[in-house]
Amino acid sequence: MAYLFNEEDLDLYETVKDFCENEIKEQCKEYDVSGEWPTEIYEKAAEMGLNALEVPEEYGGLGLERLTVAALMEEMAKADAGFVTTITASNLALKAVLIGGNEEQKQHCCDFLLDGKHAAFCLTEPMAGSDAGNSKTTAVRDGDEYVLNGRKCFITNGAVASFYVVTAMTDKTKGVKGMSAFIVEAGTPGLSTGNHENKMGIRTSNTCDVVLEDVRVPASAMIGEEGQGYSIAMKTLDMSRTWVGCGAVGIAQRAIDEAVAYGKERITFGKPILKNQALQFKIADMEIRCETARQMIAHALMLMDAGKPYSKESAIAKCYAGDVAVQNALEAIQILGGYGYSREYPVEKLLRDAKIFQIYEGTNEIQRVVIAKNVIGKF
Amino acid sequence: MELLVCVKQVPDDSVTVTLDASGKPNLGGITPVVNAFDTYALEMATRFKEANGGNVSVITVGDLKENEKSLRSCLSVGASTAITVSAGDADAACALACGIPAAGTYDVIFCGSESTDVSAAQTGIRLAAALNLPVVTNVLALEPADGGLTVKQETEEGYRTVSVPTPCVLTIVKPAYDPRYPTMKSKMAARKIPISTVTVDAPAASDAAKCVKISAPAQRQAGVKIQEKEAADAVAKAMGMLIDRKLV
Repeated sequence: MAYLFNEEDLDLYETVKDFCENEIKEQCKEYDVSGEWPTEIYEKAAEMGLNALEVPEEYGGLGLERLTVAALMEEMAKADAGFVTTITASNLALKAVLIGGNEEQKQHCCDFLLDGKHAAFCLTEPMAGSDAGNSKTTAVRDGDEYVLNGRKCFITNGAVASFYVVTAMTDKTKGVKGMSAFIVEAGTPGLSTGNHENKMGIRTSNTCDVVLEDVRVPASAMIGEEGQGYSIAMKTLDMSRTWVGCGAVGIAQRAIDEAVAYGKERITFGKPILKNQALQFKIADMEIRCETARQMIAHALMLMDAGKPYSKESAIAKCYAGDVAVQNALEAIQILGGYGYSREYPVEKLLRDAKIFQIYEGTNEIQRVVIAKNVIGKF
Repeated sequence: MELLVCVKQVPDDSVTVTLDASGKPNLGGITPVVNAFDTYALEMATRFKEANGGNVSVITVGDLKENEKSLRSCLSVGASTAITVSAGDADAACALACGIPAAGTYDVIFCGSESTDVSAAQTGIRLAAALNLPVVTNVLALEPADGGLTVKQETEEGYRTVSVPTPCVLTIVKPAYDPRYPTMKSKMAARKIPISTVTVDAPAASDAAKCVKISAPAQRQAGVKIQEKEAADAVAKAMGMLIDRKLV
C-alpha cells in the first residue's frame, strides 16, 4: 500500500479496498475472457465516486491529497488494471482541461466526472503515436465554429466517454505549434467510434478508434488558444505519467501477493517452496522493485504538490513502474510454475495487463528520451 | 418517521476466533466491524427513509472512542445522527432501554436479529419488553400503513405479513439486497458529524440468562478415504460402511 499516515485516509483506503475485493477482483475474470465492457462494475464505481477522485475541491471534488489518490489507484490496479486504466484515462482528459482550459470549461468537464461519466484523451493517430506532432487531424475555422476531420486510434474510453479532448492541426505549416486542443462532447454529429480493440490485456477497459467527420464545435470549445494544443498535451502527459505508474505498481504488488500466497502453500520435497532461499530472493527482488517504484511515484507527486518541476521524475516513475510490473508478473508466473502459466490462476493476466504499461501514455523508450533530455540538456 | 437503528460492534466474522488458555475468546488483532445483521437493519431503515421520508439515527452501547469508527461507517451509509449510550456494566438491552428514551423519540427501532459474535438474539425482544413496545422478529421488509407498518416476517415455514402499530421494535434478518457501499463523498462528510453520548444509570446485568461457558466448535474429523481400484469394490466398501452405521 502507498503512503497513508492518518486514520481518515486509511478509512477511505479500507473502503476502496473492500469495494475492489468484493466487486472487481473476481468479477473481472469473466470480462477478461469475454473482453466485454463491465457496465455493472463501472456503474457501482461511479456511484461510489471513484471516477472523480482527482476533481479539485474548487470544482466540487473531495480535495484529496495526491498521495491518498495514489494509494486508492494502486488498490484499484491490484484488483484489475483494466479498471484503473479506465479511471486514469478519464482523469487524463480532465487534466488537459485543468491545465489549459478556462473556468467554464473546467467546471463543465469536472461535472461530467462528478456525475460518474467517463472521458477520453484523443492525441494518438495511426501515423502519430510517439511522433505526436505528425498529426493529420485538422480543425478549420468556419465563422464561430471549428470543423474537425481525422481519425484517432487506441483511444481509451473511446466508446464510453461523455467528452473527448481532441488535438487537431489548425495550421499545418507551423508543425507542433500549429496544433490546438478541443473539447468535443459525445453525440456531436460526425463523431463516431470504430471497433473495440481485441487487446492482449487490460480487457475491462475500452479502446477504439475515434473518427471525426466534419465535426463542428463552437470556437469556445478550444482549450487555451490556437497553437497551444501540443504544449497542453505534453504538459498533460507529463503529469499523468505518474498516475499511470500507480497502476503499474498495483500490478507489481499483486504479483508479490499472489506469489507469496502460493509459495507458502505449495509443497515440494516436503516443505513449502518459499522455504527455499532461491525463491525468497526472488520475492525480495520483487519487493525491492515494487517499493522503489512506489517511492518514485510518491516523489514525483510531492514535487507536483510543491509546484516544482516534475517532468523527469514523472517519466522515471512511469517508465520504472511499467518495467517493474512486467518483471514482477514474470517472476510471479515463474514461482507458480505450470499453474502460473494457466488461466486458472491470476498471474498470467498480470503479465498481459502489465505489458501495456511499457507502451501507453508514452512508450518507455520515449520516457527514456524525456529523462535523457532532462539530464543532458541542450548541447 | 424517526427511525433508530441499534448497532453493535463485533469482531470481524470472517476471521476464525480461537480461545485462550483461560477459555476466553482471543480477539487481539481482529478488526472490529458493525454486526452484519445491524448493517442489514441500517440499509432497510435507509431505504425506508428514502422512500417515505424521515430520519435515520444509529445508537450503540459503550465507549465513544472504541465505537467511533463503526458509528462513522454507519453515518456514511444512511444514518444522519449517531449516539452512544454510556451505561456502566448494564447489558445491551437494559442500557438501550434507558438510553433510547433519553436520546429522543422514535417511531421504529430496528435491531439486527442477532449478533455475529454471540448470536444470542436477545437484544431486540428484551428491549421491546423493557420499553413496553410491540415487537416483530425476523423482518425482511416493511411498508408504511395507517397508524403503523405492514411488515414481512420470515418464519420457519415461509413468510407472514404482520401489521404493527408504531412505535415498535423490529428485528431484521438478511433481506434480498446487500448493504450499500459508502461513497467517497459520504465517507468524508461522515467525518464531520458530531456524535452525542447519553449517560444513563441502567440496572446491572440481569442474571436471568447468563453465560456459563464458552467453547470452540468441535473440529471436523478427518474423513475416510475409499481407495479401492475397482469401482465395484469401492461401492461395496462404501455400502458396507453405511450398513454398519445403520444409515441405509
